Amino acid sequence: MESMVTRFYKAVSNGKIYGVKCRKCGHFTFPPKAGCMKCGAHDMEWKLISGEGKLQFFSSGNLPPMKFAKYHPYAYGAVELKEGPCFFTCIEGLDVSNVEALEAQNAKMPMKVKAKIKRMADLDIVIFKVEK
Amino acid sequence: MAYVGNLKEKPVITGVGCTKFGSVLTTPEIKGLGFQELVCTAAFEAMDDSGIDPKDIDAFYIGSMLSHSSHLYSHNTQMADWLGLHLKPAIHFATACSTTNTGAGLAAMSIASGKFRNVLVIGCDILSSAATDNPTIRKPTDPTTLWYWTDFGVDQAYGYHHAYDVATAYGGLPTLGYAKKHHIKMSKMDEAMREIHRTVKLHASRNKKAYVQTTFEQDAKKAGFKDDAEFWTSRKNPFLAWPARARSVLNTVDGASAYIISSESQAKQFCDKEPISIEGFHWSASNYPWYGKDPTDWAIDNTTFETAMKMAGITAKDIDYLSVHDCMQIYHLIESEICGYFKKGEAWKAVMEGRTRYDGDKPMNTSGGKHGKGHAFSASAGADFYEAVKQMRGEAKGRQIKDAPEVSVVHNHGYGMHSAVTVLKR
Repeated sequence: MESMVTRFYKAVSNGKIYGVKCRKCGHFTFPPKAGCMKCGAHDMEWKLISGEGKLQFFSSGNLPPMKFAKYHPYAYGAVELKEGPCFFTCIEGLDVSNVEALEAQNAKMPMKVKAKIKRMADLDIVIFKVEK
Repeated sequence: MAYVGNLKEKPVITGVGCTKFGSVLTTPEIKGLGFQELVCTAAFEAMDDSGIDPKDIDAFYIGSMLSHSSHLYSHNTQMADWLGLHLKPAIHFATACSTTNTGAGLAAMSIASGKFRNVLVIGCDILSSAATDNPTIRKPTDPTTLWYWTDFGVDQAYGYHHAYDVATAYGGLPTLGYAKKHHIKMSKMDEAMREIHRTVKLHASRNKKAYVQTTFEQDAKKAGFKDDAEFWTSRKNPFLAWPARARSVLNTVDGASAYIISSESQAKQFCDKEPISIEGFHWSASNYPWYGKDPTDWAIDNTTFETAMKMAGITAKDIDYLSVHDCMQIYHLIESEICGYFKKGEAWKAVMEGRTRYDGDKPMNTSGGKHGKGHAFSASAGADFYEAVKQMRGEAKGRQIKDAPEVSVVHNHGYGMHSAVTVLKR
C-alpha cells in the first residue's frame, strides 16, 4: 500500500490538493483516508478538490500547539468544502485583533473562501483565504 | 441506530474510590505520591468501600493515558503486586479521558459473560509533573509540553498539522455555535457561561476531594472585585478562544479513581451498601473533527446516549442526575440537550435559574466537574462514577441531591474524540 499521507503532502507541495471519493457509494472524504466514513468500503479514488468552500465559524485561540506558537494569533475555522466534508484549518483575510472584530465577522457567516497552500511549521499545508 | 445488545447477568458497582485531585508537587493530601501510590489509594478505598475480600477480585483493568508523564507502560504488570493482585488477570486499556467510563462497560461484559465475578477498574494520570530516571524525583510539566503530549490524541496525519487550535475547536466554536443556533446575544451567552461557572465552583467548594475549594464569589472578592459579574468580564478572566473564557475550561490535575463491579449474586455475599447496577452503556469513536458545520450537532454523542439509554430501557425523563464531560463548560448545555435532559435551546435558561445546582430540580456535575474537581484524564470518568454512586447512596455530604437519584447517566469524552455513556440505577 502506498502511503496516502505522503502522497497527499507531496501533491500539496506540488500545488495540488486531493481528496478521495468512494467508488462504492460516491461519498467524498477530505483529507484522504483509506476507508469510507459513510459505507465502510475501502476502494477510494483520488480526486482533486475544487478549493471552493464556505467558512461557517472561526475564532482564534490563545493556546496554540508548540509548532504553531510563532503564528499566534491566527484565525482558525471550520470550512465546508464544495465537495461536502468540513475541514478545520487556518483562515487568512480575517481580523482577529479584538473581540468586536471576531463577533462582527462571525455575524456574516457563511463566508466564501478559497483553498491556498501555505508553508507553516516546515510543512506545506492547506489553508483557506477569504474571497473578497 | 447502533446495535444495542444486552447483558446475561446484572453487573453492579459494589465499591468506589477516588484520591484527592490536585498536584503531587503541592497538594498536601497527595504530595509526594507517585503513580503506584495514587493507584493504590483509590483502589484500596474501593475495596474497603465494597467490603470485598481482595482475593475474590478476579481481574483488574487499569487505564492511564499519558505514558510521557508516568514513564510506564504495562501498567497492569507493574501494579499487580502493589495492588495485592499478583498473578490475577489484568490488562492496561485506554480511551483517553473517557477511559474509566469505558472500563465500566468492559467490566460489565466480563461479569455478564460469566468469566469473572468481581472486576476492579482503575484510572490514573499525573499531569503536574513527569517521572524521571530517579524514582524519587519528578520534573514539573509546563503547559505547552503537557498539551504537546496530549495532542498526540488528535488526528496526527492531517488535523493537528493544519494549525490545530484546541481552544477554538473545543471551546470557542461550540459556544459560538450554541449562541447562534438559539439566537442568544453574545453578551447574554457570556452571562450563561458565568452562571455555569458559578455552579461548578459551588459544587467544588463542597467537595473535599476537589482541586478547587473556593466559590466564584470568594474568588471575585479575593481578586478585589465587589461585583462578580465585573470579575467575570475582567482581564483576570480572559478569552482563551472567544467566546470561551479561561474560567470555562478544565484544570489539569493529578489523581486516581477506582471502582469494583460484581455480579449481583456475588454482591449479596459481601456488600452491605446499596448496589448500583449498570443498566446500559455504549461507546462511539470519531477522528478529529467530530463535528461539521453545526458545532453543537455531535453524532458521536447522539449515538452513545441513544443506544445506552435504549439498552437501559429509560428515556430522558427518567434521568435524576446527569454527569457530562465538561472539559469545556459549554458541554453542560450541549450534552444535556443531546440526551434530552433539557429541551433544545432550554439548557442555558435552566443554568441561569440555578436548576442544575445540587439543590436544583435538574442537578448536574455535582462534584465540581473538570474545572472544579479537576481533570486527571483517565481518572476523571471514574471520579464521575464515584460522585454518581455517592449521590445515589445518599452519601454526598454537603452537596447531596435532596432525593437521592434512582437513575444516573454518566457521559465522558476521550480526546480525539471518543464518547462513552453509562446508565446507572439503584
